[in-house]
Amino acid sequence: MEKFDVIVVGAGLAGLAAAYTLAQEGMEVLVIEKGDYPGAKNVTGGRLYVNPVRELFPDLWEKAPLERFITKEGVSIMAGERSLNLEYYGNELNQEPYQSYSILRAKFDRWFGRQTERKGAMLVSKSRVDDLVIENDQVVGVWAGGEELRADVVIACDGALSLLAEKAGLREPGNPRDYAVGFKEVIELDPDRIEERFGLEGNEGAARLFMGEVTRGKFGGGFLYTNKDSLSLGIVVGIKDLMEGSPAIQAPILLDEFKQRPEIAGLIKDGESVEYSAHVIPEGGLKAIGKLYGNGILLAGDAAGLAMNIGVTVRGMEYALASGYYAAQAVLQAKEKEDFSANGLAEYEKLLNDSFVIKDFAAFKEAPTVLDSPRFFKHYPELLGNIMKDVYEVPAGPKDRLYPSIKKHLTFKEMWSMVGDVRKVMKI
Amino acid sequence: MSELGGLKAKLGLDVFKHDSEPHIRIKPGMEKDPRLKAAVLVCPAGLYAENAGGEVELTIDGCLECGTCRIACGTEVLEWNYPSGGAGVQFRFG
Amino acid sequence: MNIVVAMKQIPDLQQIRIRNRQPVLDNVPLTMGDIDKNALEAGVNLRDEHGGKVIVLSAGNEDVEDTVKEALAAGADEAFLVIDDSLDGAESGTIANVLATSVKQIEEPSLILFGEGSGDNYSGQVGSRVAEILNLPQVSFASSIEIKENQAVVTRVLEDGDEIVQVDLPAVVSVLANINEPRIPSVTQILKAGRKPMEVLELGELKVDAGKDLVITESNLAPETERKKVVVKSVDELIQALTTEGYVGR
Repeated sequence: MEKFDVIVVGAGLAGLAAAYTLAQEGMEVLVIEKGDYPGAKNVTGGRLYVNPVRELFPDLWEKAPLERFITKEGVSIMAGERSLNLEYYGNELNQEPYQSYSILRAKFDRWFGRQTERKGAMLVSKSRVDDLVIENDQVVGVWAGGEELRADVVIACDGALSLLAEKAGLREPGNPRDYAVGFKEVIELDPDRIEERFGLEGNEGAARLFMGEVTRGKFGGGFLYTNKDSLSLGIVVGIKDLMEGSPAIQAPILLDEFKQRPEIAGLIKDGESVEYSAHVIPEGGLKAIGKLYGNGILLAGDAAGLAMNIGVTVRGMEYALASGYYAAQAVLQAKEKEDFSANGLAEYEKLLNDSFVIKDFAAFKEAPTVLDSPRFFKHYPELLGNIMKDVYEVPAGPKDRLYPSIKKHLTFKEMWSMVGDVRKVMKI
Repeated sequence: MSELGGLKAKLGLDVFKHDSEPHIRIKPGMEKDPRLKAAVLVCPAGLYAENAGGEVELTIDGCLECGTCRIACGTEVLEWNYPSGGAGVQFRFG
Repeated sequence: MNIVVAMKQIPDLQQIRIRNRQPVLDNVPLTMGDIDKNALEAGVNLRDEHGGKVIVLSAGNEDVEDTVKEALAAGADEAFLVIDDSLDGAESGTIANVLATSVKQIEEPSLILFGEGSGDNYSGQVGSRVAEILNLPQVSFASSIEIKENQAVVTRVLEDGDEIVQVDLPAVVSVLANINEPRIPSVTQILKAGRKPMEVLELGELKVDAGKDLVITESNLAPETERKKVVVKSVDELIQALTTEGYVGR
């Protein structure tokens, strides 16, 4: 029977980061991926923040197949028939090392997989892991295609649903409250047009988020990222809100409506859709993160629940890369003591707690609760839209003074509940 | 409910590899379970539909393996696994 | 008994998109053709029954070193590869010359197996050409192969029935897709594939007469034509337009 130091399940960012780090240290690592190649089952909205993980993988970034570095950040608040756009451009975004890049995972992960193999890891694609091998309450391997494969440690990086975490008894099937679903189209478009429409030069890129009517006031928003020669356009929406209806709408319709909005239609005009993809996103925040390790097993990436939605950004990939890295460090330390029990692997939690990963989750621990209010996704976008309408409107008759036109919308009751919301938002 | 007509064409853009058996099943006897109705709303591929008899039906072709139905409906009504190795959706962009 | 199985590295056909009437091949994973998997499975089964080795033979660009692992995982014992960028998408005649020359370097092959046609072009020429160059008998459209003594008994599927052919070894046999169901290699088999012996030759080392270049005399791609477009706003206008164009009425 084959025996490895470590079996990593899933060749996503967490799994490959773990395998890359372990192989670099001379460990015998096997990565098992069910897709045809790493990335075949992986989906992102579109943006990787390199800053927090740059130093963890110093050799990786120079040749990495990333798309465009983001120099323009935009937020659009969308009401029924109007929208308010805010665009941020800062010189610091246009200076190396660039903070964030748009990214397409099938491309990136395949490349990352090859780098991981070059470090000496074994990567087997087109193979599904069906179960864990558990002996005396210790995970000692996996079952794949009717075959038992053994290892000192299994690192489960099998994504947001992590069936392996359930099998290991580390957690229960997910609660709709803690998850969103993201779905997007990749729309091919000439680079010249992308640069012209978004005011970009060379390899600069733009990121835009959309709130309000795009999700019919449900928790979530729309996103748009510019890639080299395509756009990633999609929607993220809380599963609980989608299920509850009010209004009841089938998820795919949200994206169709989004594409038809005049603000978007002009940007994607003449583009050709080349892929439609979807995935669940864990975004229950700190309180939804369960136990991250057990006897002979570690969870990393989405499998560990390490993704976060704080309204203006949805992040996960940096946490996946970093948690994979720290899982590998924990295994290396366990290897020194030859103790692969939960005790021996407990260093993982310490490493994560001391890193930006759990620090971010702690800092934003109130975000899911605070943002779980329809006021943010429905009421305020409408209110802002109406104020803007009055500010810019020049009627046939005399135009009202600006202050009274705004004040008309901001009644005492409105202001009072705003104060309440602001106090909530201050917790983020 | 609005039209989901364009969805077939959208799913047609993706690469799907054949699997020997469906990887998600509605558990027998659960077709009318109210929990399943959520799947009709949440599935980004629009693969769940309620028929005239009030039963929810699932068409597995075009499944993006996103996992939303498993989260929304739970494992008491759905038997949920990933397709076998090398089968199912294979994203070219992701 | 040594069995040579020819493998063509082809792009994963399901992954190819069409853009501006041209296939997009960038980043498309390369793979072993489906029907080659049938040839390999046939070879592996015969080896299991009669002993010997299965040597997978392929000519292509350097990626073939990776692609051939699929064959090694699915039961081949060794690989014999000829590598050159010019072999990627080379025409049948060139490939046949390269393969035939390679076969001569393989120890006593009794059976040389091909898929009836490649997974991408399905021109179905290389097997026959190799047989001709090596002056070996060839049996095509095989749906079963049995080895008896120094002969192969091959069932051929023809339009009006089956034909059973007995042929002296060594021989070239090209198989149909329905001859068997190729196995799906396990993780262990995939891992072991990387450690199996692989002989890799540069094209220059092979001393081969690559043959004449292919001359393309005709393309059967339908020419792009601008269709006439008539926009109508009512049924009456439609009838009017169809009448004017001479499709209805008179």
